[in-house]
Amino acid sequence: MIQEKRGEDLSQVKSILDRYPRERRFLLAILQDIQKTYNYLPREALNEVRDYLGIPLSSLYSMATFYKALSLKPKGTYVIKVCDGTACHIRGSMDLIDEIRKLLSVSPGEVTKDGRFSLETVNCVGSCALAPVMVINDKYYGNLKPAMVKEILAGYGGIRGDWDTK
Amino acid sequence: MRVIIDGKECEAGYGEYILDVARRNGIHIPTLCHSGALPGQGSCRLCIVEVAEAGKKKVVVSCLYPITGEIEVTTNSERIYRMRRNIVRLLAARAPSGEFIKKLREEYGIPEETRFKVDEKEKCILCGLCVRACEEIGLSAISTVNRGTTKKVAPPFEEPPEDCIGCASCAYVCPTGAIEVQEFEGKRVIWNRAFELLKCAGCGRYFITRQQYEYIKNKHGIDMKEPLCDRCRQKSTAEKLIHLL
Ligand code: SF4
Ligand code: FES
Repeated sequence: MIQEKRGEDLSQVKSILDRYPRERRFLLAILQDIQKTYNYLPREALNEVRDYLGIPLSSLYSMATFYKALSLKPKGTYVIKVCDGTACHIRGSMDLIDEIRKLLSVSPGEVTKDGRFSLETVNCVGSCALAPVMVINDKYYGNLKPAMVKEILAGYGGIRGDWDTK
Repeated sequence: MRVIIDGKECEAGYGEYILDVARRNGIHIPTLCHSGALPGQGSCRLCIVEVAEAGKKKVVVSCLYPITGEIEVTTNSERIYRMRRNIVRLLAARAPSGEFIKKLREEYGIPEETRFKVDEKEKCILCGLCVRACEEIGLSAISTVNRGTTKKVAPPFEEPPEDCIGCASCAYVCPTGAIEVQEFEGKRVIWNRAFELLKCAGCGRYFITRQQYEYIKNKHGIDMKEPLCDRCRQKSTAEKLIHLL
């Protein structure tokens, strides 16, 4: 089911926790910080947060599975978000996804084998005027055509190994 | 305070919920997510009624609507029946398999669902009562996970829950029987975790899990030298009293 790297170095969790008072209302902020640092929520990190805030593990799991921005599996180094909101959908977001799928052999919700890219669809990034839009980490690419995708991904090193064969 | 429910005059305290007043007066309003012990869930919407106040009619959720003025309530008007039928239909599309839902479906003559994709085995209507019961006990071993169409009730990581004591309160409050509990050979299995059952020192019946017994002893400081079921505890208290007299 849920796989994760073993023996993650959790020292950074401590310094994240140190920044917050022991109050439940900071749970989301803490989880966001952990997600940002580790690219996912390591299970042992969740246990640490539980002990720190003194709240049940089920509350953490509930929150971690509720928000799309949080993930229990490691995400890729580069997170590709293809917007599939109404405007982007109409202007061909599915073609972008197909192109990425072809280039990286990855489907929405998955991570490439080398762990460098993960692909997600999102429901709107608030840039409908630029549709179709995709976001890689924090960088926005608008007015996209499928033919432009390869070059953009190449700028992130593409996928190692079988990149050239594609 | 005087209210009229289905033409019957009823006395109501200020702020009392319509459902409670109706029940006290023998007027039936169907409910799913209402539990006397955990009121105010308000998620199934089955208990809707029509309220007329100052010449205006509106539809409210009776288990959550506090009476603050002289209102007239109709629990089974044409309009309510129609709306409730729709609610039953949607609940049945979500969770067709529970006994109570099946009965409601029959009662409201709901046809075979063709419009929505239905999971025939599903029983849970996601009312959240079980999660609240567990929270109330002080454990929160289960919670709702995911959201939207994949939302469900589950323990963390969908593994046998560490925090669970096997009290089965979740299964007990569940209006649709969605939570499975099995008991055999002195064991209770719930949420895929097996618990050892203890026998009552009085009547010898299995009635409590070891974890539950310890939990009650520690957490609530209840003095139980040996496990006694409710009936035997009453008996033993009564006997002690008689000795004192
Ligand atoms: S399992 Fe039962 S009590 Fe829990 S949310 Fe589902 S229907 Fe409600
Ligand atoms: S009983 Fe009132 S909303 Fe469920």
